[in-house]
Amino acid sequence: MLKLKGRVDASELASPLADDVWRVCLPADSDGDGDEGPTKSLACLVRAGQPAPPGYGLYLMADPEMGTLAVPGTPRRAIPGAPSPVLKLGPELAHLSPGDIIHVPAGARRVTVLWKNSARHNALLLTEQCDNYCLMCSQPPRERDDSWLFDRAKKVVTLLPASARSVSLTGGEPTLHADALIGLLEHCKQVAPELSIHLLSNGRRFAGPAFARRYATVGLADIMAGIPVYAPEPGLHDFIVQAPGAFDETIHGILNLASLGQAVEIRVVVQRHTVPVLAGLATFITRNLPFVAQVALMGLEMTGLARPNSALVWADPADYQRELAEATGILATAGIPARIYNHQLCVLDQRLWPYAVRSISDWKNDYLDICRSCSVRDACGGVFTTSGNRLSQHLRPVP
Amino acid sequence: MINAVKLERAATTLPPHGWRLLPMRFHRLGADSVVLTNLVGEHVFVTPDELVGVAEGTCGDQDLLARLRAVHLIQVPGETLPAELLAIKLRTRMRRLPDSTGLHIFVVTLRCEHTCRYCQVSRQSAAKSEFDMTRETARRALDLAFRSPSPHLKIEFQGGEPLLNFPLIRWITAEAKRMNAGHGKDLAFVIATNLALLDDEILEFCAEQDVHLSTSLDGPQNLHNGNRRRPGQDSWQQAVAGIRRAQERLGPDRVSALMTTTEASLDRAAEIIDAYADLGLRGVFLRPISPYGFALRGRGGANYDVERWLEFYAAGLDQIVELNRQAVPMVEIYASIIAKKMLTNSDPGYVDLTSPAGIGIGALVYNYDGDIYASDEGRMLAESGDRTFRLGNVHSSSYAEVMLSDGLLRPLTESIALSAPMCATCAFEPYCGADPVFHHTTAGDFTGHKALSAFCRRNTGVFTLLLRKMRDDPYFRDLMRRWAQ
Repeated sequence: MLKLKGRVDASELASPLADDVWRVCLPADSDGDGDEGPTKSLACLVRAGQPAPPGYGLYLMADPEMGTLAVPGTPRRAIPGAPSPVLKLGPELAHLSPGDIIHVPAGARRVTVLWKNSARHNALLLTEQCDNYCLMCSQPPRERDDSWLFDRAKKVVTLLPASARSVSLTGGEPTLHADALIGLLEHCKQVAPELSIHLLSNGRRFAGPAFARRYATVGLADIMAGIPVYAPEPGLHDFIVQAPGAFDETIHGILNLASLGQAVEIRVVVQRHTVPVLAGLATFITRNLPFVAQVALMGLEMTGLARPNSALVWADPADYQRELAEATGILATAGIPARIYNHQLCVLDQRLWPYAVRSISDWKNDYLDICRSCSVRDACGGVFTTSGNRLSQHLRPVP
Repeated sequence: MINAVKLERAATTLPPHGWRLLPMRFHRLGADSVVLTNLVGEHVFVTPDELVGVAEGTCGDQDLLARLRAVHLIQVPGETLPAELLAIKLRTRMRRLPDSTGLHIFVVTLRCEHTCRYCQVSRQSAAKSEFDMTRETARRALDLAFRSPSPHLKIEFQGGEPLLNFPLIRWITAEAKRMNAGHGKDLAFVIATNLALLDDEILEFCAEQDVHLSTSLDGPQNLHNGNRRRPGQDSWQQAVAGIRRAQERLGPDRVSALMTTTEASLDRAAEIIDAYADLGLRGVFLRPISPYGFALRGRGGANYDVERWLEFYAAGLDQIVELNRQAVPMVEIYASIIAKKMLTNSDPGYVDLTSPAGIGIGALVYNYDGDIYASDEGRMLAESGDRTFRLGNVHSSSYAEVMLSDGLLRPLTESIALSAPMCATCAFEPYCGADPVFHHTTAGDFTGHKALSAFCRRNTGVFTLLLRKMRDDPYFRDLMRRWAQ
């Protein structure tokens, strides 16, 4: 597990640092090309005993014990008399490495890691606003204006290291800000056309053909919309997402995307209400939405609204293996790729292991003490640290 | 702890009379069980009381109402999505129709060295070459076949025993491939043969040209040889040896077999299935005898009724399920065709169980003399003097004349199940088909009276059996899902 937020010591700053986004680099890889943006937006990571080369917009001191940073010679391009700012990283940010992208807010007391270059998954939060209010939401919606998140995401995309392969765009509901989202996608197409993009959306806004067309017209080569469907009919789905009419809009949205040749993934959170309808939902997908690229069957992350609603939504994975196996079988037999996310292998029916994906993000997965002796630990995603103690009662090491 | 629920569950459930019925048909499966089907064959099992509650608007069982909503059997007033999804599914099911005529049957000779009891064709002895198709006739038949819009063309060689005119098979195959260079269709070839004449040259040809073999195997040796007579009484030995050689040379999936049920088969369903399994065959098609040709006259082993055949079918299906449980993969082909109709949005277009009927638009038959028939059965009727389904002759008829002839369009339009009396209201209409040739033969018109129709009784029996088994047995339900793909 990695900490994505950490304290920094900005006491060495000669002048206030403006809110900005930086890509971390080592002294050696100064990118060569940079008078303008790239160099300015590069934060040079300097370790103990290393000399810090001039010319970077920001210096990060990895070792809090290191003391004062020595920048030899006169910085050629730095504004005379104003040495580039230096931040001392707290120990929880010791993992920072080249290619990571950080956000340093004005005042520079805390640093947020927006992109972890070594991670399998990176997600960019675009908004916390949402028009659903799902019972088990792990990221409860907030009403406040957060349009700066889109701007920040845009900067991240600009700074992405060449090795970046894929990104999730998430919320909240990103499509609530139609213009900003389309703008971001167009920006992606311009500066990172090869990037594989996974847009997490409730799909409702795509029910409007005009917006669906705008989205498709961006013309990204590799984008997939991940859209939740929790039941095969409106009654239960609308209750789970706490929004009357949502099912109708979501399914219309999926149909519109499909008719425009856009890839759609269906995401199903397995919880107390969806367990009894899993097979019916799988059948509904095979008959009505057979074109979907894949179906993700996801275990609960017991955080956010899932905590106050715990009694309403919690289901122990050990108790729904029959339903999960049937649904997976229905999809797989119909040729629709099924993937099982967020389930520990020890509580998953062995026949379902081939469908299991190590899906829990590096920064919020962990293993329990009992996992130490487990023979399949390395193939397992572990547990959500965010779920606290609300875990299956049947976790055990697999012999 | 905060209350994070803004919308109570009750707010999204259905009050009494809060729904409307969408097109819904039903069939009683037993005293306490009814199956409801929608326009495209999705189905729900209910009790008679539940059906009444749903129809009258008094049902309070939210789980049941939700299941009906999920398959678009009911909707809330004002909703448009259910009808839109039904329309998409129906369109998907019908989309194959413009791509007409995928199967082209070439009767390359009427000669045969077998004298099977149930033979549907007036066979000729093996020496009379005037019953062979000529190259000129074959060439004209190919010209017509390539006019078909279907992107898939399957050319099936039939007889008689087609291997008695093997040089023509060779010629047609080469010619079809040559012609296809300008069409780019997906071409497939099948020889329907008793395999008695199979030799290395033929096997080599099948291997090189990717030609499949389809043969007849009625089951164990004494049953098979009692039905399928030939000098030496060794039809079974010939067939089995041929199947083995073909499996070895061509691969296990390049040879398949069909069986025909005679009264001697009726008590031997499990033995028949085992005979197939012993040979490593992975599919059995449990077929009733057809009421045409010699068989119609009651001397070909057809002396049994539909109910007796259904018992046989059920026993055979049980044995097939048992083999699968023992990890011996085996498919009952008729059930697999129906599984596709029950569990997917596509109609496999099987010519004997599809609506509109498969005649002409699913299959065309080119007889040895160039006569064109709307189906194999239509050709057999003609052999006994009834030329109703003769659509023309390859030497004198154009493609348009054949496909737009009254002789084809009338039986097609008059038999469409969705508009036929009793079929239109039948829960099994999405699973069933139209068989104007059968009803013409047995009832004197293309539609038939379904209360008196053996076609209807037999298929209703099969659908009922399959649905009951799916309702009661999760293993069978899963097997049907796999067969449907």
